[in-house]
Amino acid sequence: MASKKINKKDIAKLLSQWSQEFTVFVPSTEDGVATMAKWNGKDTSFLDWYRNTVIPPKANILPAMEEMFSFQKSKEGYHIELPPTNGHKQLIFGIRPCDAKALAILDMTFKEAYEDPYYLSKRDNMVLIGLGCTNPYDSCFCTSLDISPAESTDVDLMLTDIGDELLIEMVTKAGKELIAKAKGLKEATKADDARAKKAKEAAYQKVSRKIDTEGVGDKLSACFDNQDYWEKAAAKCVSCGICTFLCPTCYCFDINDELVKQQGTRFRSWDSCAFPLYTKMPMENPRLEKWRRVRQKVCHKFEFYSMDFSVIACTGCGRCIRLCPVNWDITQTLNNLPEKTR
Amino acid sequence: MEQRLRNEAKALLEQGKVDWIIGFEPGSLKFTTTPVITKDKNDVDRLVINPFIVNNLANFLTEVTGRVGIVAKGCDSRSIVSLIQDNKVVREDVIILGVPCPGIIDLSKVERLAGKDRDELDDISREGDKIIIKVGADKKEFAITEALFDNCLACELPTPQEYDILLGEPSSPVVNKPAAQAKIEKLKQMTPEQRWEFWKNELSQCIRCYACRNVCPACYCQRCFVEETEPQWILPTPRWQDNLIFQIVRNIHVAGRCTDCGECERACPVNIPLRSLTKEMYDIVGELFSFKAGMDKDAPPLMTHYEQEEAEDFFR
Repeated sequence: MASKKINKKDIAKLLSQWSQEFTVFVPSTEDGVATMAKWNGKDTSFLDWYRNTVIPPKANILPAMEEMFSFQKSKEGYHIELPPTNGHKQLIFGIRPCDAKALAILDMTFKEAYEDPYYLSKRDNMVLIGLGCTNPYDSCFCTSLDISPAESTDVDLMLTDIGDELLIEMVTKAGKELIAKAKGLKEATKADDARAKKAKEAAYQKVSRKIDTEGVGDKLSACFDNQDYWEKAAAKCVSCGICTFLCPTCYCFDINDELVKQQGTRFRSWDSCAFPLYTKMPMENPRLEKWRRVRQKVCHKFEFYSMDFSVIACTGCGRCIRLCPVNWDITQTLNNLPEKTR
Repeated sequence: MEQRLRNEAKALLEQGKVDWIIGFEPGSLKFTTTPVITKDKNDVDRLVINPFIVNNLANFLTEVTGRVGIVAKGCDSRSIVSLIQDNKVVREDVIILGVPCPGIIDLSKVERLAGKDRDELDDISREGDKIIIKVGADKKEFAITEALFDNCLACELPTPQEYDILLGEPSSPVVNKPAAQAKIEKLKQMTPEQRWEFWKNELSQCIRCYACRNVCPACYCQRCFVEETEPQWILPTPRWQDNLIFQIVRNIHVAGRCTDCGECERACPVNIPLRSLTKEMYDIVGELFSFKAGMDKDAPPLMTHYEQEEAEDFFR
């Protein structure tokens, strides 16, 4: 189907239409940090300032914390109650191609390897409206992971900034249905398509940070026991959870019960392999030294995940570099991998 | 200053006076530096001193074994002294390479002044009491007090008092108390209910990454109370109530150790104004006990020391 377009001034009208059917999420800094937040019904200023969110959109499916169930102990045993399902359908407007790819990567774990009901209840009720990135950060390296900053097949609709207007491409059936129902759209002209193509190419060229992913799994495997290298690479890491929590593909979680007398709630929340006490509860953390934990982070993304799912679990969004308090930079660690095995 | 630092650091390693050098090297992003912790004398050629040396390197002292040459700004040197007072670091094992600090540039403030993100700027430079931001041919000038970290604007001791080598002439503080205290004053004007609401909102953003704790040299517990499971004081689940307890207890734990280096607030990825808590605690410690952290390596640490005559009646 030919592409459509919409004037940026009319975006609020379009979002209002979609609000009838969906809970609409847009990039917002209303809570003090850039995140995909519930649209307030009028503001579209994100079209001017938005480059990417600090909190990745994974938080809309795998939130920092969520209630799994509540329980009550009685003479008959335990009574378990699941949290109410609100059944709301999420529409994420403006997701970047790197973050959309990240959700596809998460699907491999939560949808394909096993079926996680908490994840799927949200994921299966979600449409993604991609918005091409025209101004990537200097920390971005998506193009090294075969991602183009302004193109995506992991969304339902893909939007490209062509000046006063946004070009709309329909990627999935769900996307086509959204467009079929939408009012106020115009047909895109050949000139619009050409403008979009140019914008996409320009965005691609702007991504200057690079890593070499060719054979990276084998390289990591070869230097796994090179303690000197990993100690040096990890020296400045402070073992906080920023790079994992704000990574769009990191998904480890912890489970905790809050118990007051005879009743309680079970929560799951983000966990991080950077923490010395990671997996302490079920047994011990086999990675007591910091360099082992840093190595795990790098190897899980670039070696182990590929073994299981044939894809690198990194989309080059650059958050781990941008937000690190000590400027630990995964691209440097990867680009300097030694030949020496130990 | 930079060349002298490199020479001194190299000499220390070559003469075997230290096993480690801890300093700053250029970061991988614009206007950043990054800590370097090394035994290799080839690495010291990359050492830098510039207005972007944000980290408090004292944080790494408790991680390495052996003798250490460490680059320290005024606040960092006080953190080192505080660690010496707490018996976490032995004075003789540390060679402090003191940097008279002219104040560190807060890139978030620069971004607001410029109306652009840091990676979109071409140059940030300081000329006397002005900061100059360049984007293409466009050049903007602001007072330096608009671009320094809040804690730098409150800093009365930018030059380390405790050092082995001082890498330059003592610098005079760029104090601007009203600017440094602005956020805190705003909180003080609030009613308790408004303040409660404020912190509830702020701490609802906390994701419990523990960056604030992990960049803090005063937070050196082997196992933090938040990670205790028997008893479990709070859940790792980032509910605002649990987050609040974490911050309150962390604050009380660092009272008398916090040197107002501002790292907790800078490290926070979700912009919680944590220094509003730590600085208030810092001032309360000063008021109640006439104590400033890290001023005297021979003084007993505030919270672990007790004199009969200073006790409240109920302690006797």
